[in-house]
Amino acid sequence: MWSDLVDLLLSAYEQYSLLPLFIEIALAFIVIAIIATITAYTSILVRRYRAYVHQKRVAYLSPKIEDLITEQVLLNENMDKDLPIESIEFDKDALNNKIYKKEEVRQILIDTLIRYRKNFRGEVGELLRKLYVDMNLQEDSYKKMKSRKWEQKIRALSELTQMDIAIADVTLLPLTNSRNSTLRAAARNAYIQLSKNEPFKFFDIATEPILPWDQLEMFKIITSSKDIAIPNFARYVSYSSNKSIVSFCLKLIAHYDQQSAIPAVTNLLETKDHYFRANAINCLGKLSAESIEHKLAFMYNSQPIICQVEILRAMGAIASGKHLDFLKSEFLYSFNFEIQMAAARAIISHNTQASRAMLNELMETTDEGTKLIIKHCQNPLIKY
Amino acid sequence: MKVITDFFTRGNFFETIGIFYQYVVFIYGTSLLMIYGVLAIMSLTSIIRYMKKNASVDYNIIVESPLAPGISVIAPAFNEGVTIISNVRSLLTFNYPKFEVIIINDGSTDDTLEKLITEFEMVEVEYAYREKLNCKPVKRIFRSTNPAYDKLSVVDKVNGKSKADASNAGINISAFDYYLCTDVDCILDKDTLIKLIKPFMDEETTITKEVNGDVLIEDDYKRVIASGATLRMVNSCDVDEGLLIRARPPRRFLPRFQEMEYIRAYCLGKMGWDLINAVPNVSGGLGMFDKEISVKAGGYDSQSFGEDMDLITRMGAYMTDNNKKYSVKYVPVTLCWTEGPATLKVFGRQRSRWARGLAQIMSIHRKILFNPRYGRMGLIVFPYHFLYELLAPIIEFLGILFYIYLILTNQINWPYAIILIIFVYTYSVMITTLALLWDQITFKYYKTWGETIGLCLMAFIEPFVYHPLIVFFALKGYYNFVTGRKHVWGNMQRQGLGAQKKKTPAKAG
Repeated sequence: MWSDLVDLLLSAYEQYSLLPLFIEIALAFIVIAIIATITAYTSILVRRYRAYVHQKRVAYLSPKIEDLITEQVLLNENMDKDLPIESIEFDKDALNNKIYKKEEVRQILIDTLIRYRKNFRGEVGELLRKLYVDMNLQEDSYKKMKSRKWEQKIRALSELTQMDIAIADVTLLPLTNSRNSTLRAAARNAYIQLSKNEPFKFFDIATEPILPWDQLEMFKIITSSKDIAIPNFARYVSYSSNKSIVSFCLKLIAHYDQQSAIPAVTNLLETKDHYFRANAINCLGKLSAESIEHKLAFMYNSQPIICQVEILRAMGAIASGKHLDFLKSEFLYSFNFEIQMAAARAIISHNTQASRAMLNELMETTDEGTKLIIKHCQNPLIKY
Repeated sequence: MKVITDFFTRGNFFETIGIFYQYVVFIYGTSLLMIYGVLAIMSLTSIIRYMKKNASVDYNIIVESPLAPGISVIAPAFNEGVTIISNVRSLLTFNYPKFEVIIINDGSTDDTLEKLITEFEMVEVEYAYREKLNCKPVKRIFRSTNPAYDKLSVVDKVNGKSKADASNAGINISAFDYYLCTDVDCILDKDTLIKLIKPFMDEETTITKEVNGDVLIEDDYKRVIASGATLRMVNSCDVDEGLLIRARPPRRFLPRFQEMEYIRAYCLGKMGWDLINAVPNVSGGLGMFDKEISVKAGGYDSQSFGEDMDLITRMGAYMTDNNKKYSVKYVPVTLCWTEGPATLKVFGRQRSRWARGLAQIMSIHRKILFNPRYGRMGLIVFPYHFLYELLAPIIEFLGILFYIYLILTNQINWPYAIILIIFVYTYSVMITTLALLWDQITFKYYKTWGETIGLCLMAFIEPFVYHPLIVFFALKGYYNFVTGRKHVWGNMQRQGLGAQKKKTPAKAG
């Protein structure tokens, strides 16, 4: 039987080799296409089936895991006895249940504990952490940390950070400068959350940029964590050669209203990068840095539009009243619509007797187009 | 060489032309199929990369962030009175901290404007309007007196007979640095703004190396000028008050084919091109743009029949002309559900317009074609679209004529011909099936496996039913382009979404 099959294949091959090249190619591709199509169909069905099985499994395991957490943590009787968290013991039999030995179940357990910990702080949060440690789940996370796959490392970083488990600097710091931007961002976020003494240490060694999206995440972590020691960010503004770090620090300086950073930020007005300079002016405006208002007015004429607009906005935010005439002149004589709008808004935001008088005068003396800009800027219905 | 030798030795002109044509078509067809094969691999790489990169992302962070960049949502409306209220309500509920919604009433002749004014408590405001981009005159601008709708603006303008004209008016009053262009009747995912702004904030940068202290940081990174996402058909989906409740493949044949075609075009085509930064266009139904660059490039061209590709082409050309690096990004998740034409008449009009638009773009921007100065756009995007999109229907049509000639003159080698037909057929089924598989990797859009496999099976009949229609309407579009025939916009008979079954006249997509 086998020899017949071999003969058949050999004879088919002989006939195939006698065909013109383009027909040989076409036949080969027909076979490839049929195999690929069947494989694709099988993959679609297998993927759906696997997802279905996983869903079923999670639905079966979740109540058991939640029962474990409820019994061992939420309804733990020792919680009411004011015992230190470290001395509270769990039911060893419950923890040693053989279902928690399986990798898949342990992962579901970790995910559930993280979900709970996001919702519970204080003693319950600490007890959830203890359960994670007592079940040796941190070893699973450390194992992922050692994986060669960067997405596994990110998962480990997330788990360990959420559970407030320390990661050695020697492991974490190099990752904060990884070429892989996703891993880098995760490592930096973890470092800020886990490092108790110097959460911004990696700013000193960072050669890779903090992408704008990563800045959002980092900003949220920094501003929402109560136990992070906030440094004077002027230090990084003055000495960091990484522009994205300086740019990020400008946002933090404005958020924390670090008035002591004004001299460092003022030095950035000399930078040759227009966008960077505009960021610095924006920061000074948010700090209401009245001391540099004169400098801003002095440099105004030599600036590109983007910086001029920021200067006008800053003057509106500072609202010292010393440069109202300057704002009026820009409003009346600039040919740039954006500058006219910024100047009008700056005058309005002063909201002083002098500025109101100036607006009244402008409304009486200027043409309809100019008046329309003032009405536009004064209209509370126009939000942006 | 053989062809030339044959020409002189045999002296049979038509036979030589025939042989030459066969060789050219074989090379052309094989290269096209090879490109599709390469695209399938590239798109899979791109999708896996996206999925891995975004698996750990917490999108909710941006929802609370004061650092989130503002986005203007621009949605032109023409005679959308029946569905306008629920659609605008849907647009106002994006998960995003800083956005505005600008509805442009493009000279509607129904009660679209009145409904908007009444429902959202709008009043006319004195607005300092400046025309940065050309468009028909803006008559009035409305804002809501109800703080619940403070994100909404309505622009009432003279009908410009194109979505491009209305979009330009929207860009003119937009307040933010980024804008999302969509159709008011599209159903958008709540996370659309978050997912489309992310590529703009995610582009890898390098540390600035200052040369003589004069280099700007902007020159050192690839600026993302636009981003887009997958579109699907909403025709048979469950929709309630502008919200998608359950996705289904369309039941009717024509929209069902379109769903399959869209998935192939986005998941396999655009995601593949995304890998090598050669995305040709961002769909008119859903796209986010960098306003500064699009204004500098001149905005939408209201005379263009393919205004979406035209805009991306001009933005890309602007960046290249100014020695700036740029990229156009695509995300492989479906964020927009749009109503596909369900009748042959409307479908044909749409496809003829698209084909005409492509011919027009190739004609207007011909200096880019094969021009190495324009980098990938000149050497990949334009040559691909010229050779394999613009010429494909013509070559295919000539091929059919030639086939008929061979049959009539009894010159055809039937066994070989059948093998070649099976080759093309199985390959096209494979490519479509792979595209649908890639789509399944991103998200399980359909609830049952029956719906998924049902859509996959369309690939088997597409070459006999749908594809000939595409070729026919494309040729019609080229004919209209060559003869300069005036385009008739006509009415798109909307079937309505979900519970809304009233038919609404509106301009064709």
